[in-house]
Amino acid sequence: MRRADKEDEPAVYQRVVLKNASPYHYLKVCLVLEDESTRLSAVELKQFIVTGLNSLYGEVGAALTFDLLKYDEDTLTALLRVCSRGLVKLWSSLTLLGSYQNQACAFRVLQVSPFLLALTGNSRE
Amino acid sequence: MVRVKSRYLLCEVNVSDRSRLLLLDDRAVAATVKAAVARIHGDYGAALCSIRFSVKYLNAHTGIVFLRFPKKCYRLLWSALPFITCIETRGQKISCFLNCLHVGGTMRTCQKFLIRYNTQQLHRMLPKCKNEEEKQQVQKAILNCSLTGRNKEAFEVESESEEDEEEE
Repeated sequence: MRRADKEDEPAVYQRVVLKNASPYHYLKVCLVLEDESTRLSAVELKQFIVTGLNSLYGEVGAALTFDLLKYDEDTLTALLRVCSRGLVKLWSSLTLLGSYQNQACAFRVLQVSPFLLALTGNSRE
Repeated sequence: MVRVKSRYLLCEVNVSDRSRLLLLDDRAVAATVKAAVARIHGDYGAALCSIRFSVKYLNAHTGIVFLRFPKKCYRLLWSALPFITCIETRGQKISCFLNCLHVGGTMRTCQKFLIRYNTQQLHRMLPKCKNEEEKQQVQKAILNCSLTGRNKEAFEVESESEEDEEEE
């Protein structure tokens, strides 16, 4: 922005591009189980995800800090928050997590965003 | 040019009593390293370890071991080495720890470093010698250390002096 521009027009259009926009990434996931009536508590779900990280990435992976921000027990939908550097590890271990207590299960990742507010609007539904 | 690159880690196996060191063999060390990497880095680490990992050289007398890792992921696999507490071989558990001395791109550079390191160790041992004949032996060993056709001579001579040191 040159000084001349600033003097002529008070409001100048500026485009700001942020590479690493936010330190955290937020994931909205839904757990789908073979037996539809099983219920997990929040603690059990977090433990389950930690065992998934452990099997794929070992002790170092299991030490990855992530938070369970919101959890709906009836639909088994959860909102996870993880450090941006750990997103790939968490998402890949959710993908490869196959069985919960001898029944087949799958994690459906519904939304991912670096901003929590972006998860409120879903263009898919 | 286009070449497959690896990293060679020169490690020293430290044990509390040296007699147990002689039981080591390269397959036991390889299995221990793989198990440690699988425990610390999970399936991902175990898969990285299976590509181009091997124990290239093991000297049971001095406890020196050369490990080869692929260049892309050697730091990740290196980070699992401090978690090794014991090596299991032939039904016996040798409690030890691995100390990494040098990282080289080829075996030859690691060997050159090892010879320099061994001469430094011998120089350190010289003032500690109690009698004249040990001094002679150590001095002869220092003069013999060189990278000639007979490379193994440097290693064997070093091991004799070290064993003499222990007998004191």
